[in-house]
Parts: sequence; structure tokens; C-alpha cells
Amino acid sequence: MECERLAPFYEEYALGVLEGKERAELEAHLARACPKCTPGVAKARWVVVQLTLAAPDAQPSSGLRGRIMDAVKASPGTAGTSRAVAPLKKQAPQAQGAMFPVWAWIAAATLALVTGYTIRQMNNQNEQLAQLRKQMKLATSQNQALQNQLEMDHMVAMVMMSPDSMPLKLMPKDKAMPMVHAYLHPHMGVAITADQMPSMPAARTLQLWFVPKSGKPMSVAIFHPDAAGQIALVAPVNMPRNEIAALAVTDEPAGGSPQPTTPIAWMAQIN
Amino acid sequence: MERILQHDSGALEALYDRYGRPVYSLVLRIAQHPSSAEEIVQDVFLQLWRSADRFQISRGPLEPWLFTMARNRALDFLRLKREKQRRREDSDSDILPSAVVCPDPEGDIDRSRRAEKIRALMTSLPEAQRRAIELAFFEGMSHSEIASSMGEALGTVKSWIRGGLLRLRESLGEASS
Repeated sequence: MECERLAPFYEEYALGVLEGKERAELEAHLARACPKCTPGVAKARWVVVQLTLAAPDAQPSSGLRGRIMDAVKASPGTAGTSRAVAPLKKQAPQAQGAMFPVWAWIAAATLALVTGYTIRQMNNQNEQLAQLRKQMKLATSQNQALQNQLEMDHMVAMVMMSPDSMPLKLMPKDKAMPMVHAYLHPHMGVAITADQMPSMPAARTLQLWFVPKSGKPMSVAIFHPDAAGQIALVAPVNMPRNEIAALAVTDEPAGGSPQPTTPIAWMAQIN
Repeated sequence: MERILQHDSGALEALYDRYGRPVYSLVLRIAQHPSSAEEIVQDVFLQLWRSADRFQISRGPLEPWLFTMARNRALDFLRLKREKQRRREDSDSDILPSAVVCPDPEGDIDRSRRAEKIRALMTSLPEAQRRAIELAFFEGMSHSEIASSMGEALGTVKSWIRGGLLRLRESLGEASS
């Protein structure tokens, strides 16, 4: 379908009511970052969100602001992002001269010192060069990891923002654990997000399952919380939505398991 | 947002001062439950704080993102609540305040102008059309759910919503361009 024919549906899509062929067509345009539909839908989201202003004006309690700020201060993310300004400067060794009366001895000693100093300088330079190469390699891999993370976060954001995503809360069996959020989209996949997850040993992994209405659970993804305890990933949906009875997460050995081997740790049922 | 990315908690306070009330108003309208609405608002702002780096990715304006996130969270709450209600009688004890209207100390002229437009537009719509849009936006219902809830034909509901949204787009045309 042409973009012009899809344009009247942008607002309905943003509102979350568009269904059927038009929705599928529009999502196909969005999935390929259509230069007309993408900004059109973004604008439609802005238009639709203005309906917020139709809500009766209400004032939250005066304590809410304080509670938010207290929670922010207690949040691990509050820690400053101070960067270690690294490299230690090595002090160049200071040549010590010897005071000998015989000029030859002085010349020989000076020559030895200069030679030693030069060799040391060369070694230092080689060391610095090796360190620089190491840092470059590290920076390149960090940059790649960051780009991968950005892409994943972008995908997560797209699934979360889509009006066609079904939001689900995976409730922890252990009440001390945080809740895991899932957004189930019929085409883009299932996005999983969580904060404040405890760290896991490298030998274990979390595994997401689709629990069908009948039959065995199907593995969807394996994942680890990152160093900040966050999870953000999108995995493909490999089962029709109407056949999924629940989403579940179990703790499995690294690499995952063909079927769950431990009790369900988080679960959300789908109506 | 730049300051929030730097983990400047003062920036979040400023953001809350600017958006806390409209976000709460939206969430309360959907959730219909003051203490739950406050929990959702808290959750939204904490999410904003913790994941500020993610918001930069979209490179869109913050306001629609914030309101969309708040709406999704509140609708999420509403769906869970409906599910619980199906199983047992809900025993919420909080009383909905009679929509406390307070003067806006921030004086956000642009937003209040838009709010006037939206309210005027909604008031100008026929009752049933307004109701259909409200059910879609504030209760997250689909076309068919609205049709069933209102006892109207599906086509009629679709046409009401489409017409209402097109009027909304036209009404906001200047602001959004």
C-alpha cells in the first residue's frame, strides 16, 4: 500500500486501535524505516498524546516528589559517572652524574648513561605503544558493544512504544526479586526489560519461555542482567500469540536448556 | 535530558515540577485510584532516571515519550486490575478525589493553550464520539471492545474515532508543524 493511503491511519495506529491489513501494512513500512510513514507516525503519536490534556487536572500528594527523589538517591544509577582519567605518568629516571677527575672516565660514564637512558626511553616508548594499542583494541570493542547495545535498546524502545505491543508483567516467585516487564508484539518480537536484577554467576543464565496452551514450553531467549542489573532485549516471537498461555523465566545452566530444569522464577499469564 | 544523563538529580526535580502534575492527571484518569496513580508516576520518573540513556536514542521530544510511557504503565495497571476484578470483588478503599484543580504555578502557556484546544475539541464532539475516543485513549480498548461496550456497530465506532482523530490533528496542526 502506498504511504499516501496509509497516512489517514497514522493516528489510529498511534492510539492503538488500528487493526487488520492497514496495521500490518503500516508496520511493514515502519519496520523498513519508511521515510514518509516513520515521521508521520511519530507526529501522530504527538497528536494522540495530546489527549492526555483532556484528563481532569489533578494534583498528586505533596509527598510524591520527595518519595521520587528519595528513590532516585537510593538508586544505583545515581552514582556519578566519573571517568578514571587514567594513564599514570612514569617519571623519567634522572641521570646522575659522577664527579671524576679524569675526563675519560667522565666521557665513558656519560656515554654509558646516555646509552642506558636511550635504551630505557625506547623501552618506555615501546611499552607506551603497546599500551596504546591495547587501549585502542579495548575502545574498539567497547564501541562495538555500545553500538550493539544502542541498537538493542532502540529495538526495545520500538517494541515498547508500539501500540500493538501487549504489555505483561512477569511476577517474581521470590518477592524480593524485581518484576520483569515484557512487551509482546506480533511481528517485532518480545521485548524484555528489568532493573535492579541481582548479579548471576557466569555458570548460570536466565531463560525465557513461551508456555503454550498445550504442549511443552518453547525457549525464546537466554539472557544475563548487565553490570548495572538491567535487562533490555528483544527476541523473535516463534509462536502465534493466541497459542501462548504464559511467559515464564527460569534459572538454567549457562547456554540454556531444551526444557526448564528449575522451577519458574518469573511468570505472566496471557488472557 | 542532557542533565539527567549526567545524573543531575536537580534536573529530575525540575522535570517533575514541570510534568509531574499532567502525568499524574493522566495516570489518575486511567487508573482511577490515587495511591496506585502515585506509584505509577513514581515508577515512570524512576524509569526515566535509570534509563535516561535509552531515551536519547529515540531523539524525539521528551513530552510525548513521557506521556506515552505513563499511559502504557497506567493501562497496564488497569488491565491487571480488571483481571483481578474478574476473579474477585475489588476492595479498593481509596476514594477518588473530586479532581482537584489547582492553579498552575509553572505557567506553561504552550501546554495550557493546547489543553484548552483539546478540551474545546472534546466538548464539541457528540457525546458518543467523545466517549469512544476516551475509551480508546484512557482505557486502552480496541475498536471491537468499544463497539461491544457501547453497543454500537464496529463500522460506526471506527468512523467516530477516525473522524475525531482527524479533527484533533487539524486542531493541533499549527502546534505540531
